[in-house]
Amino acid sequence: MPSLNFSPRVPVIDANVCVGNHHTGPSPCQSPAQLLEEMDFHGVRRAVIYHAQGEQISPTDGNKYLEDWLDDEGRLILQWSVAPVEISMEQIAELHGRGRVRSVRLHDCQSAGLPFLPWGYDDLLTFLSDAGIPLWIPLMDVETDHLVTTLKAYPDLHAVLIGAHYTHALVVRGLLEASSRAVLELSRYEPIGEVEALVERFGADRFVYGSWYPRYAMGPILFYLHHTRMGEDELARICAGNVERLLGLEEGA
Amino acid sequence: MIDGTRVIDYHGHVGRWERYGMVDEPELLLGAMDAVGIDIACLFHIFHPDGTTGNDLTAKFVARNPDRFVGFAYVSPTMPDRMVPELERAIDKLGFPAIKLYPPYTPWPFNEEPWLPIYEFAQDRGLAIIFHTDHFINSRPRYFEDLAPAYPRVNFVSAHCGNVPEARAEAIAAAQKYPNVYLETCSTYRTPGVIEELVEKGGADRVLYGSDMPLMDPRPQIGKIITARISPEAKRMALGENAARLLNI
Repeated sequence: MPSLNFSPRVPVIDANVCVGNHHTGPSPCQSPAQLLEEMDFHGVRRAVIYHAQGEQISPTDGNKYLEDWLDDEGRLILQWSVAPVEISMEQIAELHGRGRVRSVRLHDCQSAGLPFLPWGYDDLLTFLSDAGIPLWIPLMDVETDHLVTTLKAYPDLHAVLIGAHYTHALVVRGLLEASSRAVLELSRYEPIGEVEALVERFGADRFVYGSWYPRYAMGPILFYLHHTRMGEDELARICAGNVERLLGLEEGA
Repeated sequence: MIDGTRVIDYHGHVGRWERYGMVDEPELLLGAMDAVGIDIACLFHIFHPDGTTGNDLTAKFVARNPDRFVGFAYVSPTMPDRMVPELERAIDKLGFPAIKLYPPYTPWPFNEEPWLPIYEFAQDRGLAIIFHTDHFINSRPRYFEDLAPAYPRVNFVSAHCGNVPEARAEAIAAAQKYPNVYLETCSTYRTPGVIEELVEKGGADRVLYGSDMPLMDPRPQIGKIITARISPEAKRMALGENAARLLNI
């Protein structure tokens, strides 16, 4: 039964958290300690974090700043931003060589004129597919048609599709059908009843909880996921199990 | 019902907009409402400018589950001759207790002349009006500062609370100045700290939970209230007590 207070019933890893400041305004969390306090308030055990600088300015610099967000307990899982340019891919390869890459996140190159198509991304996507490194892809930064084409061209790529909104209602099923390895992150996806419908259609393994904090509050989607027709096992997979599998984390780590 | 508080969702729709996944199947709405303890949802149909077509569809929808849904009247100044007669019909014959207005579907900011007959009607009846508000010229919450003192028997509700910080500040400022301005919470923007800001600056007695269902699922939207850093008393007021007072239900 719902109550005035909420805490999750299952372990939770937030798959989508941004650190650092945007030009639109400072982040409410200026340190790992503040972010961990926010996670504690909402019952979130761990979070996958990337740096704001990596979104649209510099993935390599963003990744350097991200190092400042390592916490002592290992609750913050670093996600490196990447663009299909030599300097960025070299940085990721170097980090990978040291065993530090669990996932990467696509830097926005579409707004600079590079469509997300195989001719522009082949080296990067071949490397990620061969290395088994999952790629987080913000839907707002790629054309749907390009994404479908590219997902089909790299069937071994583990893609996590970020930020589907109700304006994506017509394309979400097509995206999930384009690649059996594609996973949908749920921070913005609110069409009524759609989480249950999608889980029924594609299975719980294709979805992960993310908040996209601090763009969005950390709690509401987590609350939502705890008040659906899904079973406890499905809930546990969406809230943590699937992202543990994607990142190669031990269960409950 | 949540912890003994009757929950009223102040912002919902009848009508379909399939391209965005919006489908007004009663079972879909009721299933989501039941999952989180929403007792009553206020609904309106804004897709027909004549008002009559949508209001009849709303009445039909509500009649299937009269204990769970409350209909609001919709009219548009783009069909000015029909506005007041349709309001009279919707309030007196269909039994709707409040009005919904949607300025983006018109050429006029909502403090301009074409809208005034609606406010005069609401003033006579002592009705609440919920407005779509945002940062675009037709829907700025700052217009409440013109209307609230001019129509003191009308309760003005800022839907989405302006959506973005600049417009939200206008809505809060109006609520601070006038006791008949209310702040409704639904928004696809779920910015951290917004519910706390509304309660702290606008007052817990002015905040109304709304979801925009079925365009959006009511569960994450009510989750904004439940997971906010506000007191249990403030949650109870936002979730239902304020709406019950406003609608006298």
